[in-house]
Amino acid sequence: MIEANNLYKVFKTPVVREGRFSGLRTLFAREYTRKEAVRGISFQIEQGEFVGYIGPNGAGKSTTIKMLTGILHPTTGEVVVGGYNPHQERRKAVRNLGVVFGQRSQLWWDLPVKDSYDILAKMYNVQESDKRRRIDQLAELLDLYEFWTTPVRKLSLGQRMRADLAAALLHDPDVLFLDEPTIGLDVNAKRNIRRFLKQLNEDFGKTILLTTHDMDDIEQLCNRVMVINHGELTFDGTARSLRETIGLPTEIRVTFRGPFQLPDTLDPAIRVTNREDEIVTIEANRQERSTVDILRELGTWGEIDDFEMKEPDFEEIIHKVY
Amino acid sequence: MKDNLKLSSKLKSWLELYNLLIKTSVRSRMQYRFNFLLGSVLAALIQISEFLMVAIVLYKFGAIQGWSMYEMGYLFSVMTLSKTLYRTFADEVHHLEKYLVEGDLDQILTRPVPVLLAIMPRNFRIMLGEVLQGGFILGWSLHGLWRSGQIDWMSIAFTLFIIVTGAVILFSIGLATATIGFWTTRIGELQTFTEDAARTAGQYPLTLYPKWMSSMLLIVIPVGFVNYVPALYIIRGELGVWVLAAVAVVAMICLGASLRFWRFGITKYQSTGS
Repeated sequence: MIEANNLYKVFKTPVVREGRFSGLRTLFAREYTRKEAVRGISFQIEQGEFVGYIGPNGAGKSTTIKMLTGILHPTTGEVVVGGYNPHQERRKAVRNLGVVFGQRSQLWWDLPVKDSYDILAKMYNVQESDKRRRIDQLAELLDLYEFWTTPVRKLSLGQRMRADLAAALLHDPDVLFLDEPTIGLDVNAKRNIRRFLKQLNEDFGKTILLTTHDMDDIEQLCNRVMVINHGELTFDGTARSLRETIGLPTEIRVTFRGPFQLPDTLDPAIRVTNREDEIVTIEANRQERSTVDILRELGTWGEIDDFEMKEPDFEEIIHKVY
Repeated sequence: MKDNLKLSSKLKSWLELYNLLIKTSVRSRMQYRFNFLLGSVLAALIQISEFLMVAIVLYKFGAIQGWSMYEMGYLFSVMTLSKTLYRTFADEVHHLEKYLVEGDLDQILTRPVPVLLAIMPRNFRIMLGEVLQGGFILGWSLHGLWRSGQIDWMSIAFTLFIIVTGAVILFSIGLATATIGFWTTRIGELQTFTEDAARTAGQYPLTLYPKWMSSMLLIVIPVGFVNYVPALYIIRGELGVWVLAAVAVVAMICLGASLRFWRFGITKYQSTGS
């Protein structure tokens, strides 16, 4: 559905001259600063996948998305989305795409929400009956009628994002690109958006590529994660395998009943990080030892009353990858 | 045949979209009614002061190098009306810098419509000041020329024709200039040169200028084809009727070339960081 072949993007900006007529002189300047934003990225996304695309600021996330959606032309390399190359047949390729930039609304700022849908329907040549049916459906899922006649500039961020998502779906695209769709939203609004996105993917079979800095988005939505750093893909796989690749230790808190004795030589896979009265906190790498083995080992220290396991935080995993 | 049908239905839907976008743009701006009205009034005032300038020039010098007062007025008003036509329907081309600096082109590029079609109607407005000023001077000039027997009814039809071809030429110059912004981002100064300065120079007979400059205004920035060249035939009877065909050809070439350049420029769009 989405295919990127060896994408490179180099930004060349002319060095701006100082002084009078700087603009005109810049025009004839031969000095450029080069910035390699994306360096040789390739991947393939199949129909129905929900892919999270993550990386630190300035890693090349947005540049990649802009190349996939036909906004930027790659310096070298090729994109095929839904069978079309957006750089050769832009209008055909984008007809089947929905694009949402969390930072910027695609709606007409000064007009009531509903007016934007009329314009978009015209742009995508959506028939009147289809339009009405889809708007009804989207309005129900996203609760749009609540602010149907409010000018876009007066919407709250959460409302605006809902309206923007609906706008991107009015022409019923198969592929969705969402650039930080949950940015700045409160917990409740985030939950609603996530539930909606999950529904789109699972019930309506949309292929979705999403960028985010919120690791809950990734954990709850994506069945595949791609990590980009310094313009290169550093990871491509499931969220679980990302967790495993990094091999962050699992934290275990054990409460012993009565006295206990730590062995003189600890198992090298286990590390004691804290100890107070009956409670011992250890870190164990479950790549090297199974949970049962660790419990058996702990059992030799004393009688276990209770224990708690904490999987490594996704946020921390990501920090480790960056 | 089928392709023709497809093309015509496509054009129809594009026209409808253009129409809808114009309405939208006007409605958006009517949200700030005071601002809208004040802007219109100020624009009209600027036109009146410009008109006074021209009136003084015409009155003071009368005829210059064999060009009568009426002929000068004709050149001036055709240029004004061509510019007005261009700016009425495609004003945003002149303000493309804003889209480049703020990355507003991103959204538009994800729509299955030509980028220009989506941009052009954004700031549609009736430029009443310009229309009145240009129309008044043109009427006055034509009246004077008619009385001296220089023109007939055909000339008036030709005049309307060259206002349109002139608008096409000015649009092409504006578009080509704006396209350079894909490389430089900032284009304000360049526009002052290629659009404003060149057009102002083109308001007077090109014979006033040194040879290098008049050639430049015909070849590099062809504003001379907006009014001067066709006026040679229409009001002075020089050359021949073929001049009008030549002007139309020049306009088409300019339009084709600038559109090609624009399409190439879009591939160099850099957007903004986020």
